[in-house]
Amino acid sequence: MTALLSQAAQSIDLEPLRAFKAAGGRLVGYTCTFLPVEVFHAAGLVPVRLRGIGAESLNIADAYYGPFVCTFPKALLQQVGTHHYAFLDGAVITGGCDGMRRLNECWRKLGADIPGVLPPWFHYFDVPHKPEGVALSWYQDQVRKLIDAVQNAFGVRIDEEALGRAIRQQNRVRQKLWDLAELRCRRPAPISGSEAFEALIARNVLPPDRYLDELDRLLATVQNRAVPSSDRRRRLFVTGSICDDLALVQQIEAAGAVVVGESVCYGLRNTCALVDESGDPVAALSAHYLSGSVCPRMFGYYAERRATITERIRQTGAQGVVLQNIRFCDLHGSENGLLERDLEQLGVPTLRIEKEYGALTETGRLRMRIEAFLEQLEA
Amino acid sequence: MRPELKEYPLDQLFARTFQLARKAGRATPKEQALLLKSVPYVSGLLEPMLALGAPAITFLGMLADYYTDLIHAKEQGKKVVMTTFCFDPTIFYAFDNLVPVTLEVGTVITSILWKRGAYDFMDFCTEVGFSETGCSSQRGTMGAYLAGAGVNIDMVAVNMGGICDTNSNAYSFAAQYLGKPFYGLDYPAELTPDAVRDYHHQDYRALIRFLETHGGGRFDIDRLRSLLEEKQIQDELTNEIEELQRLVPNPVPGIYHLLMYAGRYTCSGSPTFTRMLREMLEVVRVNALSGAAGLGRPEKCRAFLFYIDNFSFNVGMFDWLARNQVSHMGSMLSRFFPDNAPYRREVPGTCYTIDTRGLDSMIDTLADINARMPMTRTVRGPYDAPNMWLEDSLSLAKIFNAECCIYNGTPGCRNTWSNVKLIMRDLEKHGYPTHLVYADAFDGRVESWETTAMRLDEFFKIRGLL
Repeated sequence: MTALLSQAAQSIDLEPLRAFKAAGGRLVGYTCTFLPVEVFHAAGLVPVRLRGIGAESLNIADAYYGPFVCTFPKALLQQVGTHHYAFLDGAVITGGCDGMRRLNECWRKLGADIPGVLPPWFHYFDVPHKPEGVALSWYQDQVRKLIDAVQNAFGVRIDEEALGRAIRQQNRVRQKLWDLAELRCRRPAPISGSEAFEALIARNVLPPDRYLDELDRLLATVQNRAVPSSDRRRRLFVTGSICDDLALVQQIEAAGAVVVGESVCYGLRNTCALVDESGDPVAALSAHYLSGSVCPRMFGYYAERRATITERIRQTGAQGVVLQNIRFCDLHGSENGLLERDLEQLGVPTLRIEKEYGALTETGRLRMRIEAFLEQLEA
Repeated sequence: MRPELKEYPLDQLFARTFQLARKAGRATPKEQALLLKSVPYVSGLLEPMLALGAPAITFLGMLADYYTDLIHAKEQGKKVVMTTFCFDPTIFYAFDNLVPVTLEVGTVITSILWKRGAYDFMDFCTEVGFSETGCSSQRGTMGAYLAGAGVNIDMVAVNMGGICDTNSNAYSFAAQYLGKPFYGLDYPAELTPDAVRDYHHQDYRALIRFLETHGGGRFDIDRLRSLLEEKQIQDELTNEIEELQRLVPNPVPGIYHLLMYAGRYTCSGSPTFTRMLREMLEVVRVNALSGAAGLGRPEKCRAFLFYIDNFSFNVGMFDWLARNQVSHMGSMLSRFFPDNAPYRREVPGTCYTIDTRGLDSMIDTLADINARMPMTRTVRGPYDAPNMWLEDSLSLAKIFNAECCIYNGTPGCRNTWSNVKLIMRDLEKHGYPTHLVYADAFDGRVESWETTAMRLDEFFKIRGLL
């Protein structure tokens, strides 16, 4: 484990971001896997995926959001309202789901009520709910509009060459993350799920050069790590709602399992293939980011997601799957119901849990259910 | 789910209920009184309907035909398309072999008619894996179809991508669960730019290809033209009713809204729906000429429901408003934005035009209509963006002289619950006392109707509206 990856997974306030900013760099927050971060890297900006970790209350967020809304956007808004994201120079909201797209309005209104919490540049990135045909052309137009907006707002130029460099750099990140995923497939795995998850989360919040260095260091350490000849711990796979909750993975592992893979936002989603490095970079980015249908927000593409998850379960040798969703996340809540049915039919045991967003919000209940699930697997 | 519910197919029950209800319109007052005594739950709808006279009887007959067609679809070699209320059904009727079934209409009927509402079906969805926090409007009758207690559907076609996750998600779940093909129209966050319009049109053509591929039927251009021409008449009749609704007192009975939008969701383009609208207009004209309120008593206040109505206990909400002398000025469900509507003046350049000159123009028309259906138009982009929820609500409240606004919805509505507090704040700033109902429009277990009514009473009194 590297200290920086661990810190990045557990804190919003990070030294590399402070240093980047102090040197005149600019930071842009974003909210969704469907945003092509290469656009920002090409502009010399650092995109920082927004998180709600550390929110100790939702008193501010509850003044804007209604009660029947997932706690992830609420926690995020709470962190905005308490100035934890005051360092941002811009933010992009994406319609990942209804709760997240309404962050657009909630944040703007919050900005009118609490000075200093709305970044100078605020942009809505419209992502269709299907990957083909007119939707793909629309997405390409949105990427071009995003590029124009970034250029105008930050006085930068984003040309094909810069985009190409950013794509190649992010492809290197993707390849290394798959190296990491491959290590987790080994039996026994030389790396814990918690350690790997830290690295996955950190990818979303660290400047890319720094991140690649840290990832190289982690991979070198893990590849040379001595592992016991056998490991009796159960191998579990985690999927479902947006999750940057390191404590959940730690809790699963503390119960005596090892998390060998996950399909969640902040995880390996949207890294299943490399972005095409030849041809028009906007077309390549659009095809990559929209085509995966990695999230149930892409309605009607469950079969594709099930196939991906099933294949990853096979690759990782997972013996059981934790299907988690944040309460009021209907998209994953329902898809977990289908996955539960289909995976059980394939002989893969599942544990379906609904929880609130945030670390250790429901420790006791979750621990009991995880332990019971592991006992079932033992039996 | 209680086993007896699987014994009686839901659509059969609906068809039979409405067939009998239609006949009740021809009964003598004495026979009607006896009938109402023997159907204590159904009477919650039947009694106010019979009191409305001709339009309501036509409405009951129209639903009888709708569900009768549905239960006979398979034996006639037709295919059943599961769809949503905000999807204009005209396109299905333009095929010679498609029959639509609209889940939310079934949920409303069940909620209004049955003592236990659609609870068993809602809970069945959860039993088979659907999220319990999903919208009750779909869960209501979706459970019946998932359980095999409704007709076998052949495909799913909806239009809520980009508008309502919970709606799209429910239909997507149903398609996956039942192993049926799915097509979802998708909507950008804006309404009027040319690029958006082009998106609507192209997406709609892909939908037609989907219906042709999976339906295997013939898309009839002449039939489509005839449907659209009928629809144009329906729009004109609706617009006149809407125009008269601007009068003080409002001559339109509040429950007419329910009849009008339910008719539009299920039977748009049908001559029976036209007949119902004509019958309504006759009543409204008489009321207007005599200066009578549609409430049947003097009007004290005018309320605009800026989301949906409440169906959790018979027609309790419509009844409560009428008894308290509050005119129901319609809800988001009531407005479709044709280019000749009285409220078009407040929302220039954002309405649809029916153009029957050629096949392409007719398909574009259908796409434009679909893009302006309830919710599809109003809650797609940011609530405070041009032509969206705030502007639409303010313009409708203004043109219909509303004195207050009410939000009523379902806890399953992630979209509106994510910004209802913001729009309420703005409506209050614009001078409209605004009330937030925490009930579920389709599920009385969330909040009893009595509690909802008590809170409405409190709102109207405290804000000095009554």
